[in-house]
Amino acid sequence: MTLLDFARGPGFFCAFMIMIVGIVWRVSGLLMFRWRRDLSKARNPGPFTAVMGGLRTVAMRSVPPHELEKNITFQHFTGYAWHIGWFVTFLFLGAHLPFIRSILGFSWPNLPNGILLVITAITLGILLTLYIRRLFHPVLRVITDADDHISVLLTILPLITGIAAFGHWSPLGARYESVLAIHLLSVEALMVWLPFGKIFHFATGLLTRFRLGAAFIRRGVRA
Amino acid sequence: MLQDDARLIDYLRARGVSRRGFLKFCAAMTSAMALPPAMLPRVVQALEKARRPSVIWLPFQECTGCTESLTRAHGATLEQLIFEAISLDYQHTLQAAAGEAAELAKHEAMQANWGEYLLVVDGSIPLGNPAFCTVAGRSSVDLLTEAAKGAKAIIAVGTCASFGGIPMANPNPTQAVPVSEIIRDKPIVNVSGCPPIPVVITAVLTQILTFGKLPELDALGRPKVFYGQSIHDRCYRRPFYERGQFAESFDDEGARKGWCLYKLGCKGPVTYNACATVKWNNGTSFPIEAGHGCIGCAEPGFWDRGGFYDAMSVAHWGTAQDIAIAAGAGIAVGATAAVLARKKQADAGRDQHHSGLAASGPIPAERNKEQT
Amino acid sequence: MSSADIGQDGTAFDRFEAQVKELKRGAPPVNLSDDERVRIAKRTMLEKLDFGTAMDLETCVHCGMCAEACHFYEATQDPKYTPIHKAYLLRKVYRRELSPIRFLNKLFLREITAQQLEDWQELVFNSCTECGRCDMMCPMGIHISKAIAITREALGAAGLAPPELRAVEHEQSESGTLFGIGPPELEATIAQLRSRGLQIPIDKPKADVMVLTTAIDLVLYKESFAATAKVLNKLGVDWTLEHSGFEAANFGLVSGHHSGQALESKRVVDAAIACGAKIVITPECGHAYPALRWESANELQKRLPFEVMAISEYMGREIVAGRLKVRPMAKQKKVTYQDPCKIARQGGVFAEPRAVLAALGLELREMESHGKTQYCCGGGAGVFLIDAAEPLRRRTFEIKQHQVDDTGADSLVTTCNTCRLSFTSNARKVNWNTPIESLVELVAANLAD
Repeated sequence: MTLLDFARGPGFFCAFMIMIVGIVWRVSGLLMFRWRRDLSKARNPGPFTAVMGGLRTVAMRSVPPHELEKNITFQHFTGYAWHIGWFVTFLFLGAHLPFIRSILGFSWPNLPNGILLVITAITLGILLTLYIRRLFHPVLRVITDADDHISVLLTILPLITGIAAFGHWSPLGARYESVLAIHLLSVEALMVWLPFGKIFHFATGLLTRFRLGAAFIRRGVRA
Repeated sequence: MLQDDARLIDYLRARGVSRRGFLKFCAAMTSAMALPPAMLPRVVQALEKARRPSVIWLPFQECTGCTESLTRAHGATLEQLIFEAISLDYQHTLQAAAGEAAELAKHEAMQANWGEYLLVVDGSIPLGNPAFCTVAGRSSVDLLTEAAKGAKAIIAVGTCASFGGIPMANPNPTQAVPVSEIIRDKPIVNVSGCPPIPVVITAVLTQILTFGKLPELDALGRPKVFYGQSIHDRCYRRPFYERGQFAESFDDEGARKGWCLYKLGCKGPVTYNACATVKWNNGTSFPIEAGHGCIGCAEPGFWDRGGFYDAMSVAHWGTAQDIAIAAGAGIAVGATAAVLARKKQADAGRDQHHSGLAASGPIPAERNKEQT
Repeated sequence: MSSADIGQDGTAFDRFEAQVKELKRGAPPVNLSDDERVRIAKRTMLEKLDFGTAMDLETCVHCGMCAEACHFYEATQDPKYTPIHKAYLLRKVYRRELSPIRFLNKLFLREITAQQLEDWQELVFNSCTECGRCDMMCPMGIHISKAIAITREALGAAGLAPPELRAVEHEQSESGTLFGIGPPELEATIAQLRSRGLQIPIDKPKADVMVLTTAIDLVLYKESFAATAKVLNKLGVDWTLEHSGFEAANFGLVSGHHSGQALESKRVVDAAIACGAKIVITPECGHAYPALRWESANELQKRLPFEVMAISEYMGREIVAGRLKVRPMAKQKKVTYQDPCKIARQGGVFAEPRAVLAALGLELREMESHGKTQYCCGGGAGVFLIDAAEPLRRRTFEIKQHQVDDTGADSLVTTCNTCRLSFTSNARKVNWNTPIESLVELVAANLAD
């Protein structure tokens, strides 16, 4: 079995299964965590107030008031930009769409490669810049831990190896099959890490925003 | 009647092949082997002087497609001239003799040319049971081992002989193996493909005849000159791949415009053969040009690499049932973790209030731990 | 007449500040070994963690944006004041003990130590006013101030609240007084105000409205208390004070002593229930409002049978309803308004004070960060009382100074006595002369006839 056969076959299967087990495990464990009911009387009681408050925060937290965001504009915008770029690369590259179709059962038109290459390159540039910033910025140095380093690495590797595979690079004289296999393996590593590190925020981030919005709206604050 | 030790050139003349035809053949072969034009005189000289070497062709678990590829022509082709240059002393499809006469001819040729004959093999060899593939009552393993002993070199024609091919596809009921699994002590050239391109077979033979040694081989034992580039790197539809223009289904607009067939399962990027340059049927076309993705037939295990119509990037993630089991396992572990966590929290609350160690003293109000 | 900044008595303020400096002497001794401290802190954290905070602690992506919302970080640029970093110990305990993937986390995370608990005292008490501005910033929507509050409770239970806060909490829960102010002092103040002709009912068996006051008002801001009485009397409301539960401040909450918090809330709630009040009004005190309105029901595990309103909220409602009439102030003034964190961002009262200012005919010049993004005065959640935090307070004050100065307003109006204290104390040190005014005092001084 070649490395590529492994990466496309049992490697992918194992990584995918670990990812499913991990996500369901962590989400279900969290959802079954002890709840505390709030016995105080909400400012605007009503069946939908909390829900609307939560949804509002889910949407609007990405667009904080200017006076809050003005000290951190660079990180605020580039943070969203690279996420968008990463997902556009993943979801709209022609080569990825059969993969998506095989999982979802449907797909959509791909973007022209010329545009995608620019988006991917910018995304990679932002990621590398933000990572270097993380290594030197005083606040980030205090709060960064091993999880952050691993998660950044596993986010960047699929981009770099993907560009290498797409562009038919031959780092260290490697064959195309090996480069492609390493790209797939880098994605598999990401899948395995996904449920257990900070990348898991994809599953909980909207929920936390919702909960904060609902908690504050009952006090009458549009968070 | 020509003498047995007649030279190749004599044979050709006797068959009505003019000198000009012969030179054309040599030029075609020189070019096919990617040799510089300056080498042409050497090829001519070698073939002129050449004695027609003996070639024994052993067929095992094969479909005869390789033979068909070489022989099924629309007219006399340059490829077929190779049959003038060699003495094909044993070949089930082409020979006139049958039965014991054929076997006797084989043995005589082997004896007479011991150590010098070329052994061509097509088809895989079953190890599961000797009876799965026999000729004249003898197993293919025996036949191969015996013939290999006196061969100068072995040419494994077709993916079956080179890598095991279709008989070896999962679950490999005959335990088929390629030639290289059985013969370890002789030089082997793998001319893979299902079938291989005819001129590739011919050129390899010519190369050996001309230079007396094997062509430069890649890591899989295939001649680099034909198998050194991927289909993808020589495919005329490559610009569409680069731009991201793909056919989404057969005969859709993209297909009719000749766009890349990646999404329809083309394995061109990981398949190494000369199809995109040399093409088939005298350079008429090749699968991609005809609108069908490459199935990777020159590569080991091509039958077991996911479906032909599944793009390279299609995920083989198991089944919905697998996901259901994984999710079930996740819920089981998560629920267990949650239940134990709740218990830990309840215990902590109890300890907190009974121990009185907290600096602030006991709580005056009743606490109801479990929420409604 | 506004009481300007220091209550009419500058020496009272000095005396109060001197008293504050001595507070730590009154801290009760704590005899806990390091191991016990860690055990108790962990236990408290385990007990207090709920679904919401659990999700939050799983979701932090270490972006560090919360630091940019925190006035302590902004004023010092010291990264240790990063809000989520203040919750680091809680996160460790949660991830090691309760997280669904704890068995993996344990491989990477070490146990918290007693030394860390001590180190974190400064972070969660001296340099956090629980203002909640970080909650407004976090892109993940993490309720950081709540996580810090739980950490304060854990440290509090382990005897690691700052000595000043422990001293005050000890006084309040054991003897029911604050800074030596108790029922006798309340009576004395009431007598004084009554002698000016002000009606102040106390201990009525039944009343519609129960009013709270607080020790700081009784010592320094009597006019605020008087103004409250005046406004309610003008409205003709059936109101009372109750001896048994008049103190709005809750130092159990401020010091992270959960049992004290429950006790101090209980006094107020029981008093309100006893007199059948439908509304309880909290004075111009910050944390008193959320302590009663948003937290007491959960502390006491029962729904409150009455409404809770801050005096600014109450006045705003009455003005908008047309029941309370004020005169536009004689001189059209430009003012700016300090939204007290606990009443506004953590309490929900934004519009009512602004309605009051509008009715008073004042031109409101909002600070750049106002309403839910208002910067904290730097003194809340007990920080004003912590001696060691004084340099920090002074530095964070510069932010407020610039915000106010940039509005071009003639004076600063607020409705929280901690904001008044904090502003006044800092203003005196840097000779900042913008007058600081109380909303209820402005209203009382401008009631329409």
